[in-house]
Amino acid sequence: MKTIIKAEGLTKKFGDLTAVDGISFEIQEGECFGFLGPNGAGKTSTVRMIHCVSPITSGTIFVNGSAANVDNRKIKAMTGVIPQEITLDNDLTVFENMMVFSKFFDIPRREARKRTDELIAFVELEAKRDNKISELSTGMKRRLLVARALLNKPFLLIADEPTTGLDPQARHMIWQRLRLLKSQGSTLILTTQYMEEAQQLCDRLVVMNEGKILKSGSPRQLIDDEIGREVVEIRAPVEDDPRLLAELGPFACGHERAGDTLFFYCRDGREIQKKLVELDLPNTVHRPATLEDVFLKLTGRSLIE
Amino acid sequence: MNISRRLFLVFYRNLVSYKRFVVSTLVASLVQPLFYLVAFGIGMGAYMGAFGGKSYLSFLVPGVLITSVMMSSTFESLYGAFVKMIHEKLYDSLIATPVSAEDAVAGDILWGAFRGLISGGLMMIVAFFMGVFPVSVPAGVLLGVLMVLIGIMFGALAMIVTSYAPNFDFFNYYTELVITPMLFFSGVFFPLDNFPGWMKTFAQFLPLTHAVQVSRAVYSGVYTKGLILNFAYILALTSVAFWFGVMRMKKRLIK
Repeated sequence: MKTIIKAEGLTKKFGDLTAVDGISFEIQEGECFGFLGPNGAGKTSTVRMIHCVSPITSGTIFVNGSAANVDNRKIKAMTGVIPQEITLDNDLTVFENMMVFSKFFDIPRREARKRTDELIAFVELEAKRDNKISELSTGMKRRLLVARALLNKPFLLIADEPTTGLDPQARHMIWQRLRLLKSQGSTLILTTQYMEEAQQLCDRLVVMNEGKILKSGSPRQLIDDEIGREVVEIRAPVEDDPRLLAELGPFACGHERAGDTLFFYCRDGREIQKKLVELDLPNTVHRPATLEDVFLKLTGRSLIE
Repeated sequence: MNISRRLFLVFYRNLVSYKRFVVSTLVASLVQPLFYLVAFGIGMGAYMGAFGGKSYLSFLVPGVLITSVMMSSTFESLYGAFVKMIHEKLYDSLIATPVSAEDAVAGDILWGAFRGLISGGLMMIVAFFMGVFPVSVPAGVLLGVLMVLIGIMFGALAMIVTSYAPNFDFFNYYTELVITPMLFFSGVFFPLDNFPGWMKTFAQFLPLTHAVQVSRAVYSGVYTKGLILNFAYILALTSVAFWFGVMRMKKRLIK
């Protein structure tokens, strides 16, 4: 595995606000690397520095040996970006959007035509080829953004919250395309606040909050380390906590109270399951641990013993 | 400043999109100046008699022509650029490619100048049929080159305004407090000679004054020494405004 992105002490300040606070990370060739975090965690600021559309306040990033902030054109030429906002050219048709965009990458006309046709097929927009952007649904626009990001055959693809506001069908289609690209060897950077998305796509990820990296690892490993394997949710008033903790605590490796729900985290849920049946509690859920549990635990306000 | 040949790619993008608006924008940029020519030139001109030995219309045409260049390039850099920046997020997608922010802004200023050239060129044709034309063909070509330069000047000035604009309403300050007064105090409709001294001095600060002087000289073929100063003013302001406008916009686009 070759490291293709290396960031050290990366910091971004907007006036007094520190959006990214001295983070370091490495991204390997061919992996999908995720930045997870709530709004304002610094994910987008970080990726914007990677693909050189935002000046670095301090620290360094090297992308495939080129320094961001220095070799900007070179890095941008080999990067594809699926932006968070829909930045398509509304004055142009689907086809024209692709052709004009390929000009910006100096792709010769004939080659641009070929790639445009292939990519429009790749995101299944053939029927809309000559439609204007205003005639597309949000899902179609996002698919076109994916196609556009691939025009320059990027060795690095950055997807900044690529499925925000999409219905499940469109979301799954984008995921499939991203997975397909990854299987073909592309390196992928994903920012998201959808845990399912991260679990579906990422090999490794970092959880960010307030500009800092809280934890990093593979989704599986993070869940294992932070939560365990299984989660029992009990909807019960706070007054019941002492009783429930006394009964169930010994079988769990951690617990957490959030609002009206008491969470127990465990490695093996069989014992606790038996106990639950014994106690005959009305409102319980027993389920596998997910990345969302990790996320809430790391970025939420609650504490765990 | 990180400007490359890629600014022409931005220009090209505008050209591709322009084909959808070409008719409406041509009509828009033709009608207003045409009103000036007909109302003032033919209507009022009839009462003015000989005007420095020539018809009033021939006094009016070079000024109105340059005004239409100013209007087209100004509005392209105000509303056009603002829409691309805020509403369409077009600059965001441009700067994620090897096109730099400077390329994008410079390309759009140049595009505004091209729009100015089209407006001015149309005026030249219309005036031709009204019997007013530059002294020679090379003079006409020279005027075309000057229109591009003057379009860059006004486009760059407007780009500075856009770089500070929080919303569309902000542009009213510029159009009402700068552009409209300039129309009346730059010698477009009447010579500055009869103004009091302080007003003459004031007019010398207005870019349109110098642009009109240059245009009038090319139309009449009478070149005086003072033109060097007019031209120097235009060159200097164009350079400074272009540099400042591009830098300001870059600051706004790249955060």
